[in-house]
Amino acid sequence: MTNQLALLAAVFVFPGGLFALLFGLALKGADRRVAARLQGRVGPPLAQPFFDLVKLGFKRTMVPATSAGQTLFLGAPLVGVVAMLVAAALVPIAGVYAPQPILGNLLVLLYLLMVPGVVLMVAGSASGSPYGSIGFSREMALMLAYEGPLVLVVAAVALRTGWGMGGTVTFSLSEIVEYQRTHGAFLLDPVMWPAVAAFVFFYPANLGIVPFDIPEAETEVLEGPLLEYSGPALGLFKVMSALKAVVVLGLGLALFFPVAPNGIFGLVFWLVEMLVLMILGVTVVRVSVGRMRIDQAFAFFLKWPLLFAAASLAVVAVVG
Amino acid sequence: MNIIADLKKVATKSPWLYRINAGSCNGCDVELATTACIPRYDVERLGCQYCGSPRHADIVLITGPLTARVKDAVLRLWEEIPDPKVTVAVGVCPISGGIFRESYAVHAPIDRYLPVDVNVPGCPPRPQAIIEGVAKAIELWREKL
Repeated sequence: MTNQLALLAAVFVFPGGLFALLFGLALKGADRRVAARLQGRVGPPLAQPFFDLVKLGFKRTMVPATSAGQTLFLGAPLVGVVAMLVAAALVPIAGVYAPQPILGNLLVLLYLLMVPGVVLMVAGSASGSPYGSIGFSREMALMLAYEGPLVLVVAAVALRTGWGMGGTVTFSLSEIVEYQRTHGAFLLDPVMWPAVAAFVFFYPANLGIVPFDIPEAETEVLEGPLLEYSGPALGLFKVMSALKAVVVLGLGLALFFPVAPNGIFGLVFWLVEMLVLMILGVTVVRVSVGRMRIDQAFAFFLKWPLLFAAASLAVVAVVG
Repeated sequence: MNIIADLKKVATKSPWLYRINAGSCNGCDVELATTACIPRYDVERLGCQYCGSPRHADIVLITGPLTARVKDAVLRLWEEIPDPKVTVAVGVCPISGGIFRESYAVHAPIDRYLPVDVNVPGCPPRPQAIIEGVAKAIELWREKL
């Protein structure tokens, strides 16, 4: 019974649910503020994403006449939010939180990470808008390109941890974190550097920020899949993307740098790490580069990140 | 009830802008772009954000004298914007037709077809005037929420 309660708390309160949502929105606010400062503007208040969300709650939800039906159109964002809630409960926080094995392991997290992309595809095609369809096809191409490197990176980490612990491979996130806390973080391990490089290319594509925000490009396809959404339904997409930021950055920390003191200091350390990662890895990147075309991004991912990821798996397999 | 009122106050800190060009000469559109895009008049500090989709919009900025060619498209686009919304007419053209007022191809004033909440006259209006118009629109929007 207590176990079930703990599971529910993990999904809805901490580290998933409420905590992840508030933190994700705060990260987005910091991102917008710092981006404005880098461009020499004053920028919005830090709490702007919260204001946006409240505002969207007061607006009317419109279902376009051309849509594939209310259920699919409004159900898609709901599925995405639920998937991200569970995913947020799966991400370990070093020294503070280790997910219970019954929730799932790294492989489950991999699948859950694909859900927002699939949801965007469903939303785009269900909206019946031509811009939504363009967004749909771009999202699909991009997912095909970046999922490969991610799977190889995860395999490399699992193999390194598994062999290090004397077994075969381990996909348990808490074991991966524990192994690095005793043997040193993978970020400082030259054998894992290609995997780190591949992950660095992967997450901007997954988070949909500027060099790779091709499916939602505002100036080309008017936010593509999100074009027809309004009011609370659009708010659900904002919630999904805030949760996804926490999940993806948290996954990066868990895979490569789960070094933190125990207890409350560990949590503070983790929050600061996430903020630094968001600003250096997302904000600075998105204000300093332009958007790629979909063919460029596709070719890019099948070249460098895939090469790095494959190299890392090979090196790990050889070095052991 | 009090919480709802507080939430509405919070909600008005996030007005998203949508521009409709109803056959404008682009003077006002350049002014609008200037208002938002250059750091000096950064309207993002008011929480404003230009959005590409009418479905995301809260405040509609209409420029131009509503030419016969775009009239139906503009009216349909305006219908697509979810309530509650506030309409701002930017420039003198939507108010009276401006220098095009006697043309056979122009349907100004625009408030014959749409309820205009705020007028920002000028040819083109200064960025400060546009920002003031947006601020007035936010006040009206708070009452409509």
